[in-house]
Amino acid sequence: MSVLVLGAGGFLGLNTVDALLALGVKPLCGRRARGNVLGLRQRKVPLVEADLNRPQSLVEAMRGCRTVVHLAGHYPRLSTDPAGSTALACRQTQAVLDAAAGAGVARLIYVSSTATVAARSDRPSDEGDRFDQAPGFGAYHDLKWQMEQRVAAEQRLQTVTLCPAACVGPFDWKAGTSGIFWQLKEGRCPPQPDGLVSWVDVRDVGLAIAALVTRELQPPRLLLSAQSLGFQALLKRLAARWGAGPLPPPIADEEARQTADAEEQRAARDGGRPSMSRELVDLVIHGARLDGHLAERLLGFTYRPLGEALDAFDAWADPLTAAVPTRSRGASV
Amino acid sequence: MTDVDPKWEVRMLELIAEVSVLKVSQIRPEHRLREDLGMDSVCSLELISMLAEEFDLDITVEEAAGVATVDGAIAMARRHFALARS
Repeated sequence: MSVLVLGAGGFLGLNTVDALLALGVKPLCGRRARGNVLGLRQRKVPLVEADLNRPQSLVEAMRGCRTVVHLAGHYPRLSTDPAGSTALACRQTQAVLDAAAGAGVARLIYVSSTATVAARSDRPSDEGDRFDQAPGFGAYHDLKWQMEQRVAAEQRLQTVTLCPAACVGPFDWKAGTSGIFWQLKEGRCPPQPDGLVSWVDVRDVGLAIAALVTRELQPPRLLLSAQSLGFQALLKRLAARWGAGPLPPPIADEEARQTADAEEQRAARDGGRPSMSRELVDLVIHGARLDGHLAERLLGFTYRPLGEALDAFDAWADPLTAAVPTRSRGASV
Repeated sequence: MTDVDPKWEVRMLELIAEVSVLKVSQIRPEHRLREDLGMDSVCSLELISMLAEEFDLDITVEEAAGVATVDGAIAMARRHFALARS
């Protein structure tokens, strides 16, 4: 079985590689010319250059592979340049699709986002609930919708699109989802909006991808979500776990958007990371209640509970806290 | 750092310069990767990863995350060279 993982050295990537190795599959791991491959070197997996901005490197990396797992979709650090970010994201997505088709790849497993899932008022959203057009909430939602649209329109190879909720667990080196965890672990509780958030243990995402790779299942789209709950309720639970708090009262949606926009402008101007990011605000404000049970039934696993996911996060993060005390300064989700 | 191969150290400084805001000639051992050389946490991990590949060192991500200065990076690499020789 030949599988190439794009984005193998990242948060989702390392957890996917571990899940594949546990099933006896040694994946070929795509990497950029410059990037952190320490985790991959530790795992003794083969590396190949696969740069989304160099289409020929993608074709060469994919040659001979039956399956490509695409975890390297563009994730804009800031939402301050929607047009530029969307253009880059679409160009890279199309490059992956074209390279896969050109290299004779049979199937692409593409990891998207729950930002593409439309909320429903009558029941939790499922695999069939996708925005008919870019939702217009903000740069992140629109960009993810455009990317998923490209994959959904692909006719030359089979595609499976996964929409994982906010991933919780080890190896989140870029402090994506866990940015807010680091803030709370340091006792900082900046005011946040309220709304619905969904989460999933990142190891379950890896497990789901590995199951799809090895079992040749072809669901066109799968949601991966263990639970949807109120964001403030989640923050209270996290604050209690890590001894942070008391939490400030939630802020109104518009205030949250304005605060995040101002913070992102500051980060774009001065460097560093915003203390509140626009994409988190949009995800919380427009969060949908999700039904992630189809993946459990189809792939034969049960989502791990939040406590287990947080234990895994702590086991990874706690040894780093002493070594890297400034790691999360100003970091956000 | 007297036991470090000078060429090895020069190459290391060249790699640091590639990802920092300073030139090789401006880099000092006491420089902090983030505050003085303009790296963020992701960039500093990329740097250590580049060093690991360049010199084929088995550095863990956890160990790399603890490196805060140029001297720290050099000391870490020197430890791994010594381990490799032993």
